Amino acid sequence: MIVALCSTGFDDQAELDSRFGRCSHFLFFDTDQRTFKTVSNSAKDASGGAGAQAVQILVNFGTGVLIAPDVGPQAMDALQAMNISVFRQGSITLPDKAIKAWENHRLEEQQKASVAGMHRA
Amino acid sequence: MKAAILSGKGGTGKTTVSTHLAALFPDALYVDMDVEEPNGDLFLNPEWNDRIPVSVIYPEIDNDKCTHCRNCAAFCRFNALIAGKALTISMKEICHGCGGCALVCPSDAIRYRERIIGYVSRGITRFGSPIISGKMDVGEFSGVPLIDRIRTMDRTEALQIIDSPPGTSCTTVAAVEGCDLAVIVTEPTPFALSDMKRTVEMLRTMKLPFAVVINKAGMGDRGVYDYCRDESIDILGEIPFSLELAGAYATGVMLDSVSPQLQKEYRKIMDGMKRKAGMPGVAV
Ligand code: SF4
Ligand code: SF4
Repeated sequence: MIVALCSTGFDDQAELDSRFGRCSHFLFFDTDQRTFKTVSNSAKDASGGAGAQAVQILVNFGTGVLIAPDVGPQAMDALQAMNISVFRQGSITLPDKAIKAWENHRLEEQQKASVAGMHRA
Repeated sequence: MKAAILSGKGGTGKTTVSTHLAALFPDALYVDMDVEEPNGDLFLNPEWNDRIPVSVIYPEIDNDKCTHCRNCAAFCRFNALIAGKALTISMKEICHGCGGCALVCPSDAIRYRERIIGYVSRGITRFGSPIISGKMDVGEFSGVPLIDRIRTMDRTEALQIIDSPPGTSCTTVAAVEGCDLAVIVTEPTPFALSDMKRTVEMLRTMKLPFAVVINKAGMGDRGVYDYCRDESIDILGEIPFSLELAGAYATGVMLDSVSPQLQKEYRKIMDGMKRKAGMPGVAV
């Protein structure tokens, strides 16, 4: 399982970002290998649709779980459609702490928005 | 003359100035292009004759046909499509309706549907002047299609007051485009000044002549005045801060008894606008 986090830097010790779509980097944690991979978020400078483009990045990396600050309703719809569960990072500032909290079921799952925005034939 | 009335942010008196001009110059067509929050009609109380729905297209993906090649997602420059290994979805609020994704789909999996995002209404205000007003539905993403629709409408009036969206968004640019001049309504406060600077930058990039009207003059500080002097920006007029006006605004009766001094100030503003646009002025 791949767990994605929103990071402020390339280093896997960097603090978590307080934005989702426009965060600086995405950090991908592989729960089987227990390893990190970082990519810079190419969506952060998008003039519009940053959230959607960020979801595409998560999809490309095979993300199953996202630990994030508050996610907007549109991105939330897309994440839900793409079967990515979203958990609130809350006041946690470091990636390994957030992962530990998630593994111990201490993170709150973000409210799933309505599916009204999605169009799947 | 098409004059865009705008402001760095909402609530600086853009609608106050636009509707006063509309009420005092009933030859003018008042166009409410602040489609997210059109409120000129609260003061102008029009009778509507026409209500035209404005719709946009968005793609619907047939995931039975989709081969997950990702062509569409790579093509869409608005990132309105997300292509996964097993599922492709479209985000209709982000889609700009360009119609391109179906062309790049090799599997004929994309069909377009239409949805209404708002209405454009046309009528006559209680001052007998023509009004056009666009209103975007709540929760929509972009008001640009509404503004585009208004721009294609037959507008023959020699004088047009365009109440434009605040800020420097795409909708603001769309509303201001094609105007002869812009009037920035601002307040003499540091916050209003910093927002106004962005608007000035936008208008300079668009190479549009512009000037400033100061609302709530008498409160705040001299920052806006100093800035206008340093940047050689004309101040066309000042609307004094008055509790009376604020109360009349809140109850929607603002235009019922405009004092002679205020009428004079607005005529001065209109005179300045016309001269800026290279037309003969009006008697003040
Ligand atoms: S119609 Fe154009 S803007 Fe809309 S999803 Fe397709 S490519 Fe993107
Ligand atoms: S281009 Fe067509 S086939 Fe390819 S991912 Fe998009 S919808 Fe599916």
